[in-house]
Amino acid sequence: MTTSAQTVFAPARATTAADSATLRRKQGFQHGGWFVAPFLVLFTLFVIWPLLRGVYLSFTDANISGDGASFVGLDNYREALDDPLMWDALGHSAYFTLLVVPCITVLAFLLAMLAHHIERGKWLWRLCFFAPFLLPSTVAGNLWQWLFNPGTGMINHVFGIETPWLTDKSYAMLAIVITTLWWTVGFSFLLYLAALQSIPDHLYEAAKLDGANAWHRMVHITLPMLRNITGLVIALQILASLQVFDQAVVMLDFGPGPENATRTFVQYTLEEGFTSYRVGYASAISIIFFVLIAAVALARMWLLRNREEGAAR
Amino acid sequence: MGRPGLNRRQLLATAGGITVAGSFGFAALGTGADALASSADTRVRYWNLFSGGDGSNMIAMLDAFRAANPDIDVKDSTLQWGNPFYTKLAMAAAGNRAPDLGVMHLGRVPGFSPGRLLDPWDVGLLARYGVREADFDPALWQRGVIDGQLYALPLDIHVQLCFYRKDVLKKAGLLGSDGRIVPVTSTDDWFAVLKEAKKATKKGLQTIGLWVNDQNFQWWFFVAFYTQLGGTWFDAAQRRVTFDTDKAVQVLEFLRRHITDGYADPALGSVNAEQFVNGAPFAWEGNWSVPVYSGAKLDYGAIPLPPVFGEQATHAESHSFVLPHQSDRGGGTNEAAHRLAAYVVTHAQQWAAGGHIPAYTPTLSTPAYKKLDPQSEYVSAMTHQATEPKVWFAGSTGILAQRIGPIVVSSTLGSAKPDTVARRMKSELATLLAMKNPMDGRTAAQGGTAA
Amino acid sequence: MTTKAWTPSQIILTLLATAVSLVFLSPFAWALFTSLKSETEAVEVPPHWLPENWTGQAWTALFETGNITNWFVNSLVVSVCVTSVVLLVSALAGYGFARTEFRGKGVLMGVVMAGLMISPAVLGVPLFTTVQQMGMVDTYWGMILPQCAPAAMVYILYKFFQGVPRELEEAAFIDGAGRWRVFFTIVVPLARPSLAAVGIFTFIASWNNFLWPYMVTNNPDLMTMPNGIATVMNSYGIQWAQLMAGGLMAGLPLIVVFVFFQRQIVAGVAHTGLAGQ
Repeated sequence: MTTSAQTVFAPARATTAADSATLRRKQGFQHGGWFVAPFLVLFTLFVIWPLLRGVYLSFTDANISGDGASFVGLDNYREALDDPLMWDALGHSAYFTLLVVPCITVLAFLLAMLAHHIERGKWLWRLCFFAPFLLPSTVAGNLWQWLFNPGTGMINHVFGIETPWLTDKSYAMLAIVITTLWWTVGFSFLLYLAALQSIPDHLYEAAKLDGANAWHRMVHITLPMLRNITGLVIALQILASLQVFDQAVVMLDFGPGPENATRTFVQYTLEEGFTSYRVGYASAISIIFFVLIAAVALARMWLLRNREEGAAR
Repeated sequence: MGRPGLNRRQLLATAGGITVAGSFGFAALGTGADALASSADTRVRYWNLFSGGDGSNMIAMLDAFRAANPDIDVKDSTLQWGNPFYTKLAMAAAGNRAPDLGVMHLGRVPGFSPGRLLDPWDVGLLARYGVREADFDPALWQRGVIDGQLYALPLDIHVQLCFYRKDVLKKAGLLGSDGRIVPVTSTDDWFAVLKEAKKATKKGLQTIGLWVNDQNFQWWFFVAFYTQLGGTWFDAAQRRVTFDTDKAVQVLEFLRRHITDGYADPALGSVNAEQFVNGAPFAWEGNWSVPVYSGAKLDYGAIPLPPVFGEQATHAESHSFVLPHQSDRGGGTNEAAHRLAAYVVTHAQQWAAGGHIPAYTPTLSTPAYKKLDPQSEYVSAMTHQATEPKVWFAGSTGILAQRIGPIVVSSTLGSAKPDTVARRMKSELATLLAMKNPMDGRTAAQGGTAA
Repeated sequence: MTTKAWTPSQIILTLLATAVSLVFLSPFAWALFTSLKSETEAVEVPPHWLPENWTGQAWTALFETGNITNWFVNSLVVSVCVTSVVLLVSALAGYGFARTEFRGKGVLMGVVMAGLMISPAVLGVPLFTTVQQMGMVDTYWGMILPQCAPAAMVYILYKFFQGVPRELEEAAFIDGAGRWRVFFTIVVPLARPSLAAVGIFTFIASWNNFLWPYMVTNNPDLMTMPNGIATVMNSYGIQWAQLMAGGLMAGLPLIVVFVFFQRQIVAGVAHTGLAGQ
């Protein structure tokens, strides 16, 4: 084994060349730019450059063919602020987020509590609750489109109802929300499960000795210990839900839904850019969307920092 | 090496290495498995949007073409109709990876930037394969000509029809002595017919399916009846909106009344075909439903949408072949694309079985075509077409249809009042008229391409 | 805890979990049974769970039309390439940010963190025009490379490398080992669990990715499974039995992977999740 040989000889060498060793140690951690370089090249090409390009395009009337764009100043932004379809789309994404986030958080927590407290077959419950997450979004969308189908679909049949899920504007978004819950709750469920398992047992045992019942243990130990992970789950869900696209378009055959009721923001940007060929305008609304997403992310960081400071005090 | 696990680990590492290397190699080749496997000299990539009966007819025609031209490999791909198809076609052309041959609705051609996203046909080459301008309706042929070049080769005309079940109408006493539906010339006539038909309809079925929640169908029906009333959209210079809100209100109230009087059920809006097959007396659908209903062995007929406002007019569009833009278009593949398009256009008998009226007029006069039923019952629709205005934002599932379709639906379903909806339609038309075509920065009034 | 008692509360919880699991699994069952019906039986009204005539026609038709096998290969190629590039690049970058010094590190780290907020969903249109300029529309590279710069994975590995004791590397440096050798022979083996988590998640994300491949590929020959299933139609119209069979084929590989690597995946979620708290 070469490594043990090196260890044996190392001290002797170190004594004779202590200076150069220190130098080598220092050098070892310096000029790390080469480690970061490959990532930075890809990151610059496919993240930073598109962002800058998006900002530039948003001030032009560029079209899909990629040539002949001219500068139009703030026209695109002015149009966007006045565009009822953009506000509608933003409203739909926000409405979806508002419905999905609380449902998924609560459901994920309950499922995790269930799986955590059952002693037998943990792997089985984990598999059952997580499996839908492993499907591609389009497969999940197709599957539920089929389940919601009038006449031939199982949902109306099982519950004995005749709800026009995907053809009525008051139900279509709800159908997408139900699909999303089934499809994505597994990820948050695993996060909660991991957090539950990382709570030290001795806390519960101490509480038991103090005579706390199950309810008290949950309110005074489990829930406080899950605060951080809940914050993470909510933040991740808000960011993901605002960007909803896949399942919504698949379930409604790439259309805007009954009376435009399910056209999401991402869908609208892509329609403007690729269907109406207005790349300049689509870039402008993308930038508006980016600012919104960044604001949500920064708000979370700010909340987190405040809380840490509060905890430190 | 003493540990037995090491061999397995080495094996796994080797297999992993081969997978990774193989993947990178495959990605570097870059053409996909299907193209690698193709052995023909010339491979034509052809995109269409035909599914259902159209899809199987197209496949039959392609198979016949393949049998006649064994040296040409046709790779046909069917993309989802409507937005997804046009989006993909535009993006492929913009990214310079366009297929060799594509299908488009004729109404979409002016807005699809001929010259940028489309390449012109080589008319001489087409003639060599048997396609000549003289064999087409001149107006139809001219719709594909922009700036003197042919960009779209018409394949057919397709129209919206009123399908009716002869068995049900017979019971209701609504069939004439010729075995066809009694003539309808006013809205009163029409609702009287529906009233009688409803009595003869089985329980659980609606009287008529007219796609009440579908923004495309509702828009097409609107165009048809608005044209029957003699309504117009823009003035000749395309500077002013001439949309008549009073006429629009009449049409919207007419469409809405099918629901309020209980003839159409919004809950069954997406399953009209199934309802018709199960015995619903009426369905308003495109002629592409003919193979579906004929295949189900129904006793049915089909007329153009009834002239309830006096004049005959029914919504019509056309499928056409286009050459999506390739910067290096030419050579054997391009010739093969011409050959394929010409073959399909001139062998349109099979296509007519799908309910479409062939654009290649020699087909219409063949005895085989005249025998087709119910095609012969509605072939007259060809002479009174209601089409969308000829502007860059029009055409099947174009911006116009996307913007206005949902507004029409909101009236039909009762979420908005007809007069409010008519005003919204008018203001939307004004917005669109003022809008610049993103491809050339010109409005409809300035637009050379649309003229 | 080798023998677990069936206390009343355990029985209730198990029954509850069974019921919930059935609800979660029933859509899979519905897909499977639909795929084993004939197309006409699949659309019968009212619907019924089990096929009256069991038939594999949807599955054979799926393989005969050919597209699905192409897409499967494409999915595999793209996911393998993305996963290997991401592993290499983000391990290097995570280590670089966590352990080495270079000018502008703080600023660069901030920029990378800002990258967490950018995705093809947010900036798809400009990203497409960028890739269009590079001439990579409808190519494998156009699909692969933009998926290879995930700031999140760099962040996860950065967090991990920060927690590794410095002494191991220092000892090796004193022995005269070069930086790259230290990285590949000492640091990478230590990071194996984290790398496994990153690798598995990248693979899942890439296999299931729809939005970006949807934007950048139009040629059906090059499409991946999720994209092909959603955008390319069967020429005979929507055939639900085939659609369900195709969906199962797209979804099953990952479910099988999950069954085999459940421990690692759960640990991976825990690891990444807890890192993000």
